[in-house]
Amino acid sequence: MPLFRRILVANRGEIALRVIRTAQEMGIETVAVYSDADRAALHVRRATLAVHLGGSKPAGSYLDIGKIVAAAVATGCDALHPGYGFLSENEDLAEACKQAGIEFLGPPPHAITVMGDKVEARKAAAKAGVPLVPGLQEDVDAARLAAAARQVGYPVMLKAAAGGGGKGIRIVREEKQLVEAFELARAEAKSSFGDDRIYLEKFVTRPRHVEIQVMADKHGNVVHYGERECSVQRRHQKLVEESPCVALTPELREQMGKAACDLARSVGYVGAGTVEFLWSEGRFYFMEMNTRLQVEHPVTEMRYGVDLVREQIRVGAGEKVAPPPEPRGHAIEVRVNAEDPATFFPSLGTLTRINLPGGPGVRLDSAMYRGMEVTPFYDSMLAKLIVHGADREQAIARCVRALRELRLVGVATSLPTALAALRSAEFAGGDYDTGILERIDRKAPAATAELAALAAAAARFLLAERAGAASAAPAGKGGRDDTPRWAASVRGQRQWRTAP
Amino acid sequence: MKYVTKLDGVEREFEFVREGGKLIARSGGRDQQLDLALVGDGATFSLLVDGRSYDVVADVDREKVFAQVLGQRFVVGVEDERERAAHAVAGNKAGGKRELRAAMPGIVIDVKVASGDEVEEGRTLVVLEAMKMQNPLAAEQKGKVTRVLCIKGEAVAAGALLVELE
Repeated sequence: MPLFRRILVANRGEIALRVIRTAQEMGIETVAVYSDADRAALHVRRATLAVHLGGSKPAGSYLDIGKIVAAAVATGCDALHPGYGFLSENEDLAEACKQAGIEFLGPPPHAITVMGDKVEARKAAAKAGVPLVPGLQEDVDAARLAAAARQVGYPVMLKAAAGGGGKGIRIVREEKQLVEAFELARAEAKSSFGDDRIYLEKFVTRPRHVEIQVMADKHGNVVHYGERECSVQRRHQKLVEESPCVALTPELREQMGKAACDLARSVGYVGAGTVEFLWSEGRFYFMEMNTRLQVEHPVTEMRYGVDLVREQIRVGAGEKVAPPPEPRGHAIEVRVNAEDPATFFPSLGTLTRINLPGGPGVRLDSAMYRGMEVTPFYDSMLAKLIVHGADREQAIARCVRALRELRLVGVATSLPTALAALRSAEFAGGDYDTGILERIDRKAPAATAELAALAAAAARFLLAERAGAASAAPAGKGGRDDTPRWAASVRGQRQWRTAP
Repeated sequence: MKYVTKLDGVEREFEFVREGGKLIARSGGRDQQLDLALVGDGATFSLLVDGRSYDVVADVDREKVFAQVLGQRFVVGVEDERERAAHAVAGNKAGGKRELRAAMPGIVIDVKVASGDEVEEGRTLVVLEAMKMQNPLAAEQKGKVTRVLCIKGEAVAAGALLVELE
């Protein structure tokens, strides 16, 4: 007997497909939901049933709790998987599922609520004994300032309590700058947010983003599957993730794993979750907990030989969480986004040609297909390339190899950015942090540009030559003897034009 | 036939010659033997350069060639001799007008230049918010701003003319 009869997948794109695949393997039927724009999307085509939700904007489709739960009820689903993004961290959806008697494959509403609120989450972490960025002093005034800063240790950061977008933030490296910085931060906070409350915390130098994957069952058992390092980021969004993190000692890994499990246990967590930490100079600090499966979960799957979606479904059905197997080798994931590699500006268009990588140790999670339109309605991620190797060096080389095999025509992608990161001395050395992409040279190697110029010119020459031959020598063996394919390609030329 | 490619501001000249069944590419006083075979889909080529093998995409759209080589993506301008001569004439007439257009629909959240400003290549002209991200739009070449056709806060359509330069 399958654990569930039918699961509604309340998502789209690669993650919807990811869930459908595992459900199929477990003998569970799936229901896809879709917007107008996604009628021909792969998750619709691969699911057992499909329900149309409405317009292309997420608000009327993938974010509409009423429509989604109604679809689950109408199709007789006994479970719902929220994926990531959209409603995956929405306690109202979890609650609505509960009311409808549908198993929500995620944590209980209470855990989502606590972790969704920065202040509450921090309190929960402190209570569970998880280290926070030291010296957090809320609402400091001028009188207490110097004492507070000295207690925390320089450098310190002054931040607007109501802040955001980098405004009202000052880094102070020594005491003599303190008062002036405080006044500036306060004035900026006042003018930007109408609120001059300032808090002070330790400035974390060269932070790395390191997170722990946990899984909890309904019997109070919580396990962790080690860490993922996600410091290669642009615009605070992850681009390359790897496991293990070279900066962690076995002791620190154990401490972080325990802290993550303790935190999950303290809020009655169930299912897959990720506790994100900042790592700096051998210490770790709690950032936040994501109460869902993450984009980069395959990194963990490759290293541990585990299917995290299967585990989610199993614990959702009331089974006990299995002890994690011994991890092996090294795994790296690269996110392939439709974006300009220089500006990170999203790139829209139609995927006219796709060439996927293969070979040993390569996995590609994607819902893209030839002819797919990349629209402004949804996330720009096209695919995730995940590789596994015996060690880090092999994994990096394999990743570079597979990235070169992966070819997408019709939109610009993040591939060159990822390649630049993977080939940089900083990444290879392992001593990197979240600022790596700003420091490394992201330009294509000169020899590659040279080759591209040659290929482009040669392609034009050949097309012109064949076009000339085809028109100048229409009969006999003359101009078109050895190359009927060329003539065909020239005639077809207009059809294969793509947007630049 | 001679071709001039333009990539990231660098111009390169290539001359292609057939010599006894061989295709020679001549550039910067250097000869390379080429063998180029089209693969099924119409724009993927197997390119052999002096026997060294590369799998490349070269999608030709008139004088613009979209090329993908070794994981990198390039848009290469390619002119043949005749086109180059024709452009030289046209360029003199037009005085080299350039435009900045919105690549996608969005909201103009900042306009960094005014009419008459001299700008360097790479200088941000307009900041456009699209897909929840702020995207700086920069000058592709140095020049003088002749007209600013958008204002802060304005919603613009894809392809809308934002700034004109010369």
